[in-house]
Amino acid sequence: MPMYKVKPVSPADIKIDVPSCMYKSPNVHGHGMNCGEHALQNGEVDPSLKALEERQDEVLRRLYELKATVDGFAKTVTTPDADLDASTPSPGPAESVFRGTADLDSLLGKDLGALRDIVINANPARPPLSLLVLHALLCQRYQVLSSVHVHSSVSAVPPPLLSCLGPRHIDSYARQRFQLGFTLIWKDVSELQMKFSTQSMCPIEGEANVARFLFRLLGAEPQDPAAATQMDCWIDKAVFQLSEGGSKDRAAVLRSLNAALGRSPWLLGQEFSLADIVCACFVLRASQTTSAPVNVQRWLKSCQNLGHFDCVYPLLQ
Amino acid sequence: MTKDNVQGAGEEEQQAQSKKALKKQQKEAEKAAKKAEKQAKLAAEQQEADEDDFAKDRYGICPMVQSQQKLDRALVRVQDLTPEKAEQQIWVRARIHTSRAKGKQCFLVLRHQQFTVQALLAVGDRASKQMVKFAANLTKESIIDVEAVVKKVEQKIESCSQQDVELHVERIFVISQSEARLPLQLEDAVRPEGEGDEEGRATVNQDTRLDNRVIDLRTTTSQAIFRLQSGVCQLFRDTLINKGFVEIQTPKIISAASEGGANVFTVSYFKTSAYLAQSPQLYKQMCICADFDKVFCVGPVFRAEDSNTHRHLTEFVGLDIEMAFNYHYHEVIDSITDTMVQIFKGLRDRFQTEIQMVNKQYPSEPFKFLEPTLRLEYKEAVAMLKAAGVEMGDEEDLSTPNEKLLGRLVKDKYDTDFYVLDKYPLAVRPFYTMPDPNNPKYSNSYDMFMRGEEILSGAQRVHDAQLLTERAMHHGIDLEKIKAYIDSFRYGAPPHAGGGIGLERVTMLYLGLHNVRQTSMFPRDPKRLTP
Repeated sequence: MPMYKVKPVSPADIKIDVPSCMYKSPNVHGHGMNCGEHALQNGEVDPSLKALEERQDEVLRRLYELKATVDGFAKTVTTPDADLDASTPSPGPAESVFRGTADLDSLLGKDLGALRDIVINANPARPPLSLLVLHALLCQRYQVLSSVHVHSSVSAVPPPLLSCLGPRHIDSYARQRFQLGFTLIWKDVSELQMKFSTQSMCPIEGEANVARFLFRLLGAEPQDPAAATQMDCWIDKAVFQLSEGGSKDRAAVLRSLNAALGRSPWLLGQEFSLADIVCACFVLRASQTTSAPVNVQRWLKSCQNLGHFDCVYPLLQ
Repeated sequence: MTKDNVQGAGEEEQQAQSKKALKKQQKEAEKAAKKAEKQAKLAAEQQEADEDDFAKDRYGICPMVQSQQKLDRALVRVQDLTPEKAEQQIWVRARIHTSRAKGKQCFLVLRHQQFTVQALLAVGDRASKQMVKFAANLTKESIIDVEAVVKKVEQKIESCSQQDVELHVERIFVISQSEARLPLQLEDAVRPEGEGDEEGRATVNQDTRLDNRVIDLRTTTSQAIFRLQSGVCQLFRDTLINKGFVEIQTPKIISAASEGGANVFTVSYFKTSAYLAQSPQLYKQMCICADFDKVFCVGPVFRAEDSNTHRHLTEFVGLDIEMAFNYHYHEVIDSITDTMVQIFKGLRDRFQTEIQMVNKQYPSEPFKFLEPTLRLEYKEAVAMLKAAGVEMGDEEDLSTPNEKLLGRLVKDKYDTDFYVLDKYPLAVRPFYTMPDPNNPKYSNSYDMFMRGEEILSGAQRVHDAQLLTERAMHHGIDLEKIKAYIDSFRYGAPPHAGGGIGLERVTMLYLGLHNVRQTSMFPRDPKRLTP
């Protein structure tokens, strides 16, 4: 083709001094390409590349494991009082927080050979969140037969409320095998009500009072009278000011919660107690979690990390 | 001188005669005058009657309806008389509930089933005096056809069910006349017991009601009760059909007594005798062995128990269920209780008018229940009774007062009128009940209670021929008599359970009534065979 020729800029055969400290890679442009290189183009992998990939996968996997372990540690370290068992790095179901002892016979009366059934009548418009948390705690301590019923005074109940006590126990057909019964009835009542032994006990009314009764069954009541009084004080604050008070009262309670939680991880100091359960539930129900002060939010996160509040979150939507 | 005397006497006599005659004449005159007056009056009335009865063709007693003609006339029902029909001229057929005349007006209350409406007939250009008089003299309970104009009223008529309208009658004809003396008055039959005693008014006692059942059934309360009972039966059928059950009919003339020899009626059967079925138990079970899986039947049950109580009849309608299950008889309990809850919900949602109507005469608490149904174990019931101070053994059967007390205790604690008691002691149950696998003293049997009274007795049945034979021998039953029954389990029988309820008892307890005869249309008991 009659194109014009350009004069070569450099001579063709210059000898380049190749440094010997670098490794040599095969010349892809060189002559004598063998079938092995064709295989590369067909998609098969060079064994050395394979080994490299495997090493990379291994390293990544170990990195992820480490990350998970560190996450678990972070949770357990920031949540006071939780189980710091280093041999189980993954955050499993929380162990029983309360280690006190309780004698059911002395609390509930002599066992007459029949299931001791606690009956709670609640209005589906105001589900008792703290009682659900206490139910979860009772299930860890005793063998509890839980059942949910809908009373004929209520025509329909949303499905989350029907499964709020968890799945039915496999052995629920044999009532005899359980130590305690927990029967939740959704009914058109003005005030939450608990009945146990109608012959010897009058019904207990109000979520806070029923919560105090159930907490006693766990045997974790603070022995110190000052602490017990403080616990009652916090519970009353939650009931009267958080839920029944106006927005000013609510703000005041949140401020005092914030102040108390600034000094210690839980409301009564180092120990998780009923005061935390009741106050957390009432704060969650007032749905002011996003606007709550810093310490309160941290404290709510700790409660959630304990695992007992898992039954509550589905009902908050 | 005598002549003079005679003459004088004669004169005197004449004078006396004339006096007598005068008196006589006077009397006659008076009589005549009275007669004339009377005649004149009659004549006048006759004239009146003749000249004023312009409405002669607008009232009267119709000849007996023998289908002489086919009238294309639409009759409006009393319950459809609402202000929307105002100013329309319509025909109504109803019974005369009451009729009251007041001078030139006659007020009638017309009734059809539970609905009443006021009708007015006044002397005017459409109605004559004779017509009003005729209407006022009609006997109560007669069936009449009335052509009237529907009028709205400003003031509600409190005593009638149709409170916003009134009928102004134009024509009134009697279709079927009632005898003047009724054996019982409907108002008395509907009066609540307490009210009767207080105000000194009459109420009707049960025997009179049952003797004159046809009239007693016309009352609003009876109409409501039996409509509700029809609802129970219909809901029972509908719920079970939706669950995949098959309805069967079992024979009532059987060769051997099913439950026990004592309480069975004997009938002569050609050259031998047969029995009337005490329950469809045997045949239900045979259907399960015949692979029908889930069956139910509705039919009469005959029990020759000489019990004169408020809740026993010798013949009643039994609603029976039998079901094969997979692994545990609680599957059957769940199915039966769900059916009962659907029945209660259906009654609560669709029959409120009937329930209110019954409550007017027989006030009671509304029926409460839980969903899913509460199930307690026999041991728990014994513990509850012992806590309440009753002394009883662990394996003793519950007596009727104990059952009622238990019902009250359960109502106190759980606020439900309906619950199931599971795991009864084996000793008190029939021979075909399956014993408990873990504790030979108890059985897989259950009872269901409404308002503290038992309505259903059921159990897991023994489906193994050998075990059945053992149990029958243990109970001292003649094996020859139940040979056919045991044979049905020899060729592969699925595990099954079931139970049966009495329609009349369930209706009675749901409404909170106190005697099962009120919910049985023509009840049968040891002392009553008619109507």
